[in-house]
Amino acid sequence: MEIWRITWFTVACAAAATALILPPGVVLAWLLARRKFPGRVLIETFVSLPLVMPPVATGLILLMLLSRRGTLGGVLERLGIEVVFTWKAVVLAMAIMGLPLLVRTARAGFEQVNARYERVAATLGASPARIFLTISLPLAWPSVLAGAVLAFARALGEFGATIMVAGSIPGATRTLSVAIYGYAETGQDAMALELLLVSVAIALAALWTANRLVERSAA
Amino acid sequence: MIYRVLALGLAVLWPAVQGAPADERITVSAAVSLTDAMAEAAEAYSRTGHGVRFNFGASNVLARQIVSGAPVDVFVSADEVQMDVVAAAGLLKAGSRVPLLRNQLAIAVPGDRPRTFRSVREIADPAFKRIAIGDPAAVPAGVYAKAYLQKEGLWPAIEARIVPTGSVRAALAAVESGAADAAIVYRTDIRVSPKATVAWTVSASDGPRIVYPGAVIGTTKAAGEAQRFLDFLRSSVAIRIFERFGFTPYQ
Repeated sequence: MEIWRITWFTVACAAAATALILPPGVVLAWLLARRKFPGRVLIETFVSLPLVMPPVATGLILLMLLSRRGTLGGVLERLGIEVVFTWKAVVLAMAIMGLPLLVRTARAGFEQVNARYERVAATLGASPARIFLTISLPLAWPSVLAGAVLAFARALGEFGATIMVAGSIPGATRTLSVAIYGYAETGQDAMALELLLVSVAIALAALWTANRLVERSAA
Repeated sequence: MIYRVLALGLAVLWPAVQGAPADERITVSAAVSLTDAMAEAAEAYSRTGHGVRFNFGASNVLARQIVSGAPVDVFVSADEVQMDVVAAAGLLKAGSRVPLLRNQLAIAVPGDRPRTFRSVREIADPAFKRIAIGDPAAVPAGVYAKAYLQKEGLWPAIEARIVPTGSVRAALAAVESGAADAAIVYRTDIRVSPKATVAWTVSASDGPRIVYPGAVIGTTKAAGEAQRFLDFLRSSVAIRIFERFGFTPYQ
């Protein structure tokens, strides 16, 4: 059934996008929470940019970079890698839009961790990596998870950047939100409504989970 | 201090509170493929002292807007189907619907990779990995394109490589940017595109019957003005402009 195919495709891409940004996102969040380094504010700003910029603008930037005539696109074409108008572009757009949510939420979690534990571990000879893996991350885990769930939910609802860089190809790049738009534009209201209900259900589930996790970490 | 801020705010917002002067122009929703020709026609029309405001888009989107209550005075669609949608909603002014123009399909390729087909079957070449057309579910150009490909027996071979776009101009843009390897658009679109070239023009006898109908919308508050513009579109002045862009007047 078309609805489940679209839903499954969207969920799979969102999961892949979340998995893609999880390692770098968590490390970045910890660095921003615990370390001062040159260019810190710049990185903070760039990471948050997709959150504030119009998604279509972000999508257009991606398209310009990745299309055949773009800087990256030319290189990819020579390597035989196709990105625009394929599922890879969908995952990329979702990843970029979800990264700020992951980083900001996880960072708040790391900042809540009592810095004394980390300092004590350091005096006992633990390396920064070990402190991160055995103290900071386990203690901030609920926030990290909440950030991941938010990024996942954002990826599910991603539209502007996706439609710019991946289009709306049935079976290949048509995500839930893009399909709703397409069906609405072509007068297929019943399909649009069904997909709408599915996306509301998924969004509710994702947000409820994220909120529960944040509550748990604050408790 | 606070009173000064309030006074300044009021002074700035007063014109908006008063209400902007009413726009006397009629609103015309027209198929996006008419963008360039209509702009010139409107310029000629404005010399008669009447203004037109355009709303260009894929005809299925425009029809949907009208049915949802958009305050439009005239609708010019790229196919009869979308005009029928508005008619079915009871929104056409009785007796105003007229066929205006004819057009032809053409296959566009990026300007930096030009190609001329000796037969339309060359579109099935695997080199064309992505072929952009308007969404064949409802965008007129896409509906025409699919009908043509089916008639030529090429649809099964092409179907998996089709990139459906929101409008015919979006399909053209995909080819211009190189994101698509080819697109099926109207020949009038390629004419105004600096970055796409024609690979194949579908003759009027081989291709689908493309008719652009126009009509006055029943809910218009300027029926006289609207009808005057619609009549202008059938005048010799307007017809000469459309012909220059590659359209043919409906006979």
